[in-house]
Amino acid sequence: MTLRPFAAILGGPVLVAAILSASASAADSPLHTVRTTIDRIVAVFESPEYRGPDRRTARIGRVGTIVRPLIDEREVARRTLGVHWRDRTEAQRAEFTDIFMRLVEQSYGETFDRQARKYLDTVQFLYDKETIDGDFAEVATRIFLPPQNKYFAINYRFHKVGGQWLVYDVVVENVSMVRNFRTQFYRIIGKSSYDDLVRQLRAKLERLATTRPAS
Amino acid sequence: MVVKKLVSVLLVCGLVQSGLPTKAALAAEHTDAASPPIADPMEPFNQAMFHFNLTLDEYLLRPVASGYAAVVPTGARQGVARFFQNLNVTPRVGNKLLQLELAGAGTELARFLINTTAGGLGFFDVADRWFGLEAGHADFGQTLAKYGVGSGPYLVLPFFGPSTVRDAVGLGVDGAMQPINYLLPTVPEQIAVRTGWLVGATVNARALNLELFESVDRFSLDLYGAVQDGYLQRREQVIRDAVDR
Repeated sequence: MTLRPFAAILGGPVLVAAILSASASAADSPLHTVRTTIDRIVAVFESPEYRGPDRRTARIGRVGTIVRPLIDEREVARRTLGVHWRDRTEAQRAEFTDIFMRLVEQSYGETFDRQARKYLDTVQFLYDKETIDGDFAEVATRIFLPPQNKYFAINYRFHKVGGQWLVYDVVVENVSMVRNFRTQFYRIIGKSSYDDLVRQLRAKLERLATTRPAS
Repeated sequence: MVVKKLVSVLLVCGLVQSGLPTKAALAAEHTDAASPPIADPMEPFNQAMFHFNLTLDEYLLRPVASGYAAVVPTGARQGVARFFQNLNVTPRVGNKLLQLELAGAGTELARFLINTTAGGLGFFDVADRWFGLEAGHADFGQTLAKYGVGSGPYLVLPFFGPSTVRDAVGLGVDGAMQPINYLLPTVPEQIAVRTGWLVGATVNARALNLELFESVDRFSLDLYGAVQDGYLQRREQVIRDAVDR
């Protein structure tokens, strides 16, 4: 009984602080980041400014400006190059990060654009759960395509850098993008050299720029 | 008994792992940026089979699947995929039982009965839609993994594509579980029906994944490595699903 006045006095501010902190952490949570980012991307596709096949480059560019600040590009590149990252100079690391992320942007941008144009009116995004383990987190989402009656699982792997959650890997239908490219790059470096990998990456980017994707 | 026998054969071949993957090992991907490259001791054979399959795909499978996709709408192709999936019920039920998943075996059996009758021979998945009985998966490679058998080396099979030694053994055992082997009187008849089934299911599946194949080809630098890793990562999840159950 005697504690009640104390509880009443302390309870108010504590409750307010708890609510504020809960809403702040919800806003900062990786799941919230994924949800708001996808909402912003969908808004781009729905906007008349970016509609139509002739607006494709502008559309992909706009999506890139939304997504890029949320990706830890250096970490993606470091994990993809794996053990070979250690042997590179700082200049080589910067160069690799730049060309590899251009390939990632091109491949995901092109694929997403093609799918979005087909299914945007019917697609459903499901945000299943987030798992946080210290400075690492994984957000499990699914995309449901009613015309195909099919779910596609897409997980986003985050880590915390300077208090901000940044993506370092995307796992589509149980296939980690980082691990898949790492397997390819290990094979290329193992059979020839790192320099050959960079040459092949540049050649691939050139080919992608000069050939049209299937509609 | 069959499982025990196979496990002992694979033990002799040195394929049994010292233990099942731990949760900690599975979670290591978060922090492990430098996992070792995939061991592929049979690569010369695998490369030859990979290129054989690619050639087969380029000159036969893809043209046939593209033509088929042009005249058969997506919904009908999905129905065909469900029909073949429904037909493949015996290995699923058998492996659920071997994995001591009695409820799962019951679900598979119920799904088969419902979809074969009310679902028009399996073209429609009414068991899921009306009764909430979701499609499951079980194969003999998974069963072996559940009993501690390691994957063995990566192996590319002609016609069937990426696999491992364990999963190739599983594929053979799953094939032997098909009642068609025992219902048809002669071997040529069995071969004819099994081949027709395989070709039909493969063309249909390829026609449903025309864009996926093209994307992998367009964006990968090393197609062999991309396909190998994609298969192994997906397969690891299928194995984890069975082991964790």
